[in-house]
Amino acid sequence: MSGAPVLSVRELSRHYATGAGMVRALDGVSLDVAAGELVGIFGPSGSGKSTFLMLAGLLENPTSGEVWLAGERVSHAGADLDALRETRRRRIGFVFQKANLIPFLSAVENVALSLEIADVSPADARAHGRRLLAALDLAHRADHLPAKLSGGEQQRVAVARALANTPPLILADEPTAALDSVRGRQVMEIFRRIAGTRGAAVLVITHDPRSTDLFDRIVHFEDGRMRAKKTD
Amino acid sequence: MNLALKDTLHAPTRFALTALGVAFLVMAVIGMTGLYRGIVEDALLILDRIDADLWVVQGERAGPFAEGSAVAADMDRRVEGVPGVADVRRFTQFSQQFSFAGTSRRATVTGVDVPRDDGHWLPLAEGRWLSGSRYEAVADASTGLVIGDQVPLARDTYTVVGLTRHMVDSAGDGLLFVGINDASVIAQRRTSEEIHLARAARNGAVVVTADASSVAQESKIAAVLVRLDPAADASHVIAAMQRWGDVRVMTTGEQRDLMLNARLWKLRLQILTFTGLILIITAIVVSLIVYTMTIEKRHEIALLKLIGARENVVIGLIGQQAALIGIAGYVLAIGLSWLIFPLFPRRVVMLPSDLAQIALALALVCAAAAWVGIARASRVGAREVLS
Repeated sequence: MSGAPVLSVRELSRHYATGAGMVRALDGVSLDVAAGELVGIFGPSGSGKSTFLMLAGLLENPTSGEVWLAGERVSHAGADLDALRETRRRRIGFVFQKANLIPFLSAVENVALSLEIADVSPADARAHGRRLLAALDLAHRADHLPAKLSGGEQQRVAVARALANTPPLILADEPTAALDSVRGRQVMEIFRRIAGTRGAAVLVITHDPRSTDLFDRIVHFEDGRMRAKKTD
Repeated sequence: MNLALKDTLHAPTRFALTALGVAFLVMAVIGMTGLYRGIVEDALLILDRIDADLWVVQGERAGPFAEGSAVAADMDRRVEGVPGVADVRRFTQFSQQFSFAGTSRRATVTGVDVPRDDGHWLPLAEGRWLSGSRYEAVADASTGLVIGDQVPLARDTYTVVGLTRHMVDSAGDGLLFVGINDASVIAQRRTSEEIHLARAARNGAVVVTADASSVAQESKIAAVLVRLDPAADASHVIAAMQRWGDVRVMTTGEQRDLMLNARLWKLRLQILTFTGLILIITAIVVSLIVYTMTIEKRHEIALLKLIGARENVVIGLIGQQAALIGIAGYVLAIGLSWLIFPLFPRRVVMLPSDLAQIALALALVCAAAAWVGIARASRVGAREVLS
């Protein structure tokens, strides 16, 4: 690991009360991710990977523990999630298994939206969106609606949207699960490039073992706990 | 970028159909309000235009617009002698069914006192006013008559010499203006058998009984219209005439009040109730539309929240779409109203003030609908993107 941690989680736990008793979805996980680092989180279904991403992405409060971004404590058990919207906008980019593009906006508009909601002028937002799409080999598809794009193209648009605000942290949840091996590899290579060239901390949850060579570090989750850390 | 507009343009057919549905509801509100205005305006046409200060009607009665009224045929002479009276005109009005060009038609025969009444209060669309000679008529265009038509009324034939537009009574029947004497003849039309029976009942004698009327029911003059001298005190003139005992004197204001708050009260209430009901239905339908649109966009709203959009972005999306539906529905409703309502048998009056109030009501409905949608959207969490 090199540089100061962009993301730092400390003793993060998330427990759910169910009819069958208490479920420990995440149980005391601590992890640091540095700028420029591409970290893969592996683990079986129900191991707590997605819960970890929810907490690290400030989409849910932990039962206990803390989330720090660039040395600032941003989330804890009593945090106001709605107030963290601003933090998400400026500091975190998300990519999911589904591209989650807005169907009535073109590719470039989907990307530009992230900038416009951050008060960038529409013309500048659009120009930057085109540049990002061009960087991901999608310049020719910029004005197409998501329905006209292939799965791989949609996912690359989603990546461009996540990068639009130049966030220091990218969180990706199964970004290649819906793609074939070639497209999946391409997306993972983009993440590798983003970490390397933009200096972003990239955390990718995945089941896909085909791209493990691209990660700086791999973390395994099991039963809500971090089992081991492995460096290539 | 305007998300509401983008979404709308993405599914224009759906938006157009939604707006059309709202437009029909708004059109119904415009129609009910316009119908109400039309009925009131039609009912007050004669009262407002005929230029009379006082109406001398049958004693203990409310005048020809509220109930049957008959005053003596020479009542105008008596009234003319009262100090403060500038001029008088006899007046009568009754519904008449007649046959013309092989079809049965209806008109409201209105007897005017020509030549004293020069018709200055009545704008003519075509032709001329009654000259004073017998068997002439000025008809409203809604009767279907045109200038030169020969109309058989009672046992005489009347020639249409002038045409008016939008001169109808409170029931919507077109007015047919004739001289007061002609009107009396038309009103007194009886079959030969009726005349024989009446003669037999009287045994040829002149009988004056309690129910034979002391105010000459045979006269068929419903009222005498009075214009006062500018310096005259109306209350003194009224008191002088009411002392006769066989007449009641009403001001034009009282006649208006009777017409609106007695004769038309139930109709007005019913129309206003329906208008209110349609507004409530519109509110419910628009709210449901906006709510459904919000539910359908839950994923997009969650995504907006996920990428950090401020609440006003979500509020703008829902509020602007509700506004777009409202504006499109209103504009369409106005257009449809202009096209369709002139084809209705009754006049639908669209006053700018009413249209403005309907626009305001629709704006409130859309605001309420948007509030319902926004309240639902506020419960959408960013994590719903993953669901």
